Amino acid sequence: MSERDRRLFVFAALAVALPLVLLGALSLGSVPLPATSVVRSGLARLGVGSPSPLPEMGEVILWSVRLPRVLIAALVGGGLAVVGAALQSLFRNPLADAGLLGVGPGAALGAVLAVNLGWAQQRFLAMPFAACAGALLALLLIYAIAHAGGRPTLSGLLLTGLAVSALAGAGTSVLLVAVEEFRVRTVLFWLAGGLEGRGYEHLALAAAFVIPGSLALLLLARPLDVLSLGEEEAAALSLPVHGVRILVFGLCALVAGPVTAVAGSVPFVGLVAPHALRPLVGPLGRHLLPASFLAGAVLVVVADLAARSFGQYVELPLGSVTAFVGAPYFLLALRGQEGRG
Amino acid sequence: MGALLLALLLAAPAMTAAEAPLRVASLNLTADELLVEMLPADRLVAVTRWADDADMSNVAGRVPATAVRLPRADLERIIALRPDLVVVSEYTDADFLRLVEKSGLRYHRMSDLDTLPGIRAAIVDLGRAVGTPDAAARLMARFDAVLAELARRLEGDPRPRVLYWGDPHTAGAGTAIGSLVEAAGATNVGRELGLRGIVPIAGEKAFAADPDAFLVAQGSGTSVALRQHPLLSRTRAVREGHVVEMPNRLLVALSDRAADAAWWLASRLHPARVSEAAPPPNLP
Repeated sequence: MSERDRRLFVFAALAVALPLVLLGALSLGSVPLPATSVVRSGLARLGVGSPSPLPEMGEVILWSVRLPRVLIAALVGGGLAVVGAALQSLFRNPLADAGLLGVGPGAALGAVLAVNLGWAQQRFLAMPFAACAGALLALLLIYAIAHAGGRPTLSGLLLTGLAVSALAGAGTSVLLVAVEEFRVRTVLFWLAGGLEGRGYEHLALAAAFVIPGSLALLLLARPLDVLSLGEEEAAALSLPVHGVRILVFGLCALVAGPVTAVAGSVPFVGLVAPHALRPLVGPLGRHLLPASFLAGAVLVVVADLAARSFGQYVELPLGSVTAFVGAPYFLLALRGQEGRG
Repeated sequence: MGALLLALLLAAPAMTAAEAPLRVASLNLTADELLVEMLPADRLVAVTRWADDADMSNVAGRVPATAVRLPRADLERIIALRPDLVVVSEYTDADFLRLVEKSGLRYHRMSDLDTLPGIRAAIVDLGRAVGTPDAAARLMARFDAVLAELARRLEGDPRPRVLYWGDPHTAGAGTAIGSLVEAAGATNVGRELGLRGIVPIAGEKAFAADPDAFLVAQGSGTSVALRQHPLLSRTRAVREGHVVEMPNRLLVALSDRAADAAWWLASRLHPARVSEAAPPPNLP
């Protein structure tokens, strides 16, 4: 199979897999809904075909609870995977992902603060907005510190990100210790990632950043490819290296911040999806970024389905499910690479 | 204007039997305990899985078999039960509640359960919300009678200084445990130290406070940890064996059983005045 045919096959497979897993995730859950009824209910909403065969209770579950949750899962997965792919090109390091941006710890600090002050219990969307604010503040702090001494190098940005993450993590620990026992569960569940209780407003929040942010990153695919050759080579090709780097960094944070705010910590998606796809579609951003978005969406929709299906007493944390799958895959891939090296 | 508002409020009709929710789902243990007492079996459609746990629940063994045991707050399952009312706790987050509303469900939130008067008010509110104010009034009458009898017996007895130890948390002012300690005729050392809420306390601070007794949860291992603690094991209270291990179902009781919890604790702190571990059955 030629490289082009293989790429086409991968895109076709992902394009088929995504609607299938979306349909599966809409059908399965605590209250199973037949897939055919789900499709007919959707068509009925569009004014096509006969009225929905679902009972009223099924309609409520499908349209009020399950649909927004499944779509958020797809956006979360897609967003994290695109960010991972973009950062791996930017840093020329296959281990880069949204965790490097400091937005995760910043978002966690905001979320824990919202719980600690009682906002999460009293005000709708307080937790995701506080998390989003925390993520963006962390980003601004990284930017300000890194630029204090002039234009930062990549390693300077990375180290600043690590330092700000450590600061935010320390703040989170302090607040976590002071959180009332009954509220600890809310915090821990958020920190471990999850989509329980997320509705259309959370979907709107995620979509408002993930869709334009991911499209903008896709438009930067070519400059990213040039950057991945190395900074000197990119500058020789007249690429405004610093500007592109800051733009990509900012866009990644704008996608990862709201995603983390809505879903909490969902690790490994940004590492696994691009890593698995790079040998199949090649390293070029214009192929890798959209393929990563689709694969990340499939991965998180399936992980969320597992999270809400397997735990009898508690819903499994989404972040744990992605880590259970992602970490062994990543270790195997790493060992394979070392073996080849 | 104020008089008009008052007149309107007084004229507001009470909930009629026809408007009362016929299918009530509970998402917290406190509501489980209260609704088992307040509602006929066929109107309680769901309780938490904790309701049957004798270690945690004061109604274990008395929950109607027809009520679904919810292992977790799974909104899809709750919708499938078609409740008219979902009873949630103060700690249920606002985003989940918005989704409950958007799913067409009505909810009642129990709040301010951090003092005995707050618990009393919450029971009255719940009775009103589920349309059984008489049942709530019956629970209140017993609640009040138990606390009044306890206060009568403890009158004039010195108040021991008690520190709740949750290794390393303690209960300050504005907590149900602090309120329980005080209703049992003791002084809450956490409040004395100026603490508020359930907060961590340094071992050195707890040691320096020199409480007369420690209050810990039974079976949690805290009592053993306390006796092995390098500093707290040397406190007067631990050396003299004044570590009160309270059953969990009483320590976490935020229902009408909070009065029973205060009685139980008083029986350990003031055995000369309160000899029985439970209130006498002749109270209403």
